[in-house]
Amino acid sequence: MKRRMASLALGAVVSLALVHAARAHHSFAMYDVGKTYVMTGIVTRVDPNPNHLQIFFAPLNEERTQVLKNDAGEPIVWAVEMDGAAISARQGISVNGFPRGTIISVGLHPLRNGFAGGGRGKSGLFKCPPDTPPAAGKHCDSVPGSTSHGEGVLPQPTDEAPARPKS
Amino acid sequence: MVKVWFGYRKPWLGLATAALFAGAAASAQTSVGRGARDPLKATVIVGSEGKGLYVGAGIPEGNSPIYAAKDGAVPAGVEPLAHDIFTTTDFYKDRQLWSDARYYRCNSAVGLEQIWGAYEVPLIGDDPPRSAAWGYCDRDYPRAEIVSPYGFKSAKEHYAALLAETKRKGGPTVYTQATLPDWNGRYRRQREKTASWYNGAVLQIPTYLSLLKPEYQQRFVQQMYHYSGSNAAQWPGSYCWPEGFMRRFAQYGGGDVSLVMTPELILDMRNAAKTLITQIHIGREFDESGVVPRLGPDVPQWFGETIGFWDGDALITWTSNIQGWISHGGFEFSNKLQSIEIYTPRKDASGTFVGIKQEIVLYDDEAFVEPLRIVHNLDKQRELNQGDPLVIMECVPQSFPVDGHTTPMSPGQIVEYRVPDIYGRPWAQIWERYHEEGMQRPREQTGRFGL
Repeated sequence: MKRRMASLALGAVVSLALVHAARAHHSFAMYDVGKTYVMTGIVTRVDPNPNHLQIFFAPLNEERTQVLKNDAGEPIVWAVEMDGAAISARQGISVNGFPRGTIISVGLHPLRNGFAGGGRGKSGLFKCPPDTPPAAGKHCDSVPGSTSHGEGVLPQPTDEAPARPKS
Repeated sequence: MVKVWFGYRKPWLGLATAALFAGAAASAQTSVGRGARDPLKATVIVGSEGKGLYVGAGIPEGNSPIYAAKDGAVPAGVEPLAHDIFTTTDFYKDRQLWSDARYYRCNSAVGLEQIWGAYEVPLIGDDPPRSAAWGYCDRDYPRAEIVSPYGFKSAKEHYAALLAETKRKGGPTVYTQATLPDWNGRYRRQREKTASWYNGAVLQIPTYLSLLKPEYQQRFVQQMYHYSGSNAAQWPGSYCWPEGFMRRFAQYGGGDVSLVMTPELILDMRNAAKTLITQIHIGREFDESGVVPRLGPDVPQWFGETIGFWDGDALITWTSNIQGWISHGGFEFSNKLQSIEIYTPRKDASGTFVGIKQEIVLYDDEAFVEPLRIVHNLDKQRELNQGDPLVIMECVPQSFPVDGHTTPMSPGQIVEYRVPDIYGRPWAQIWERYHEEGMQRPREQTGRFGL
């Protein structure tokens, strides 16, 4: 198991390095590449940052009926960071293409500090058809008519994303 | 009692009309989409102190103080409202008062923005904000001089009509570097407060609001409240946030212009807290497959993307794919904003080139009730290679929001910093968190999935 984890981690490091070598504007050591979460949620906003586009999304519950909320009743919002806005746009990931309410599934390597964010690495990113969430426990790649954005498939998760990330 | 509704009060109509006809005779429009008579010059409308139309309140540089009353007094003949933007406990609840100039004490947008002393002598009085000064309720700039005189519904339609007109004359004109109009140089925009309605000093706020759709009216009043009631200006440049497209046309920001000309690409470069660069791509066409026309990837750009063509010595441009934002003191605009801009040479009596006239028609069907027009004159100052080079502005943050107020900080100081949602009206996030406690701001409905 340890060997598998080490292999996963090494692969993730290499993939991050390859993906981001062209245009990184910060170190990726902030992400724990030994961990991979696969999450499905509702887009709240796309920030088309030229260096690293970010998608903010509220994860759905296991039943895929409601977004997860904190003790104050507010949606918990995660951020997933990827390539710059121009490269992402070529993958169809844009403000216009991912408006608020879009249902997505993505894999990410979480922040080491436990906050609600992560780097996409080489994970696939899938968009469900409008207003069509996946079945309970499933992700957008299982929904007929979903679209894939960029290369990659949804990875095997190593861990469950925490229901209450640090904020 | 004076009551000023959405720009329909015109006590100066005689003067204005005379000037209007004089202007019309001087420049008859011959094009379908450019060269309409210039907007009425505010300076032809003389206020009671003889300084030209200036709603006030304010003490602009080089002028005598302009206010109708100050220190808590009320102008003669004006019946004040029971409460106004200076004394309200919840401006959201006052929506029915927003169209009454007295709600703002007849101050212009600039009057409110500067009333605590943003860039002029403060007129907030000794018991702020209750004691704020009044502007002149009997002055306003005509709304008809602000909206586009052309009948086009979209920038695309406008550009197509101008291009078709040019083609009928055998154009567009194609230049080489040798034959290109030599507009290379550094210019200064005529930018006194009364030079353009967009400088915000010559029109009452209800007239401003009449240009905007309800959501953008609310945003504008929110901004005005936080200049006047809470004194919590959040200018994007103060935090080194982006300056945004409309900053190109603001009174000070973008007032110095450098033009660099080539046959394929023209650079229009201006400075505010950051350098504002418009790249005009001559002869290119937009990709219109997306939500808005664009040249590059489907990514909104802070200054949009611009194409253009020449019709003789007129440069006609279309800018699209603009990131929605704000220019402080002005309205917010959406990602739908597009502009048609026409640059034409200005010459003196002897035919010598002295500058550029820039006619700007703005389309934003999310924010505006109809298209708007701004006309600016740029005066040639010097050649590109004379004097100081253009400074490329890299904004270095020195001020941070502390308890909701812009606060300059020194190296080593520690500040609690809440990360703004930069594409979600970050200025408003600060206002709503720190300065709107107890107010009942209309909220978005909870959508599907409980979001």
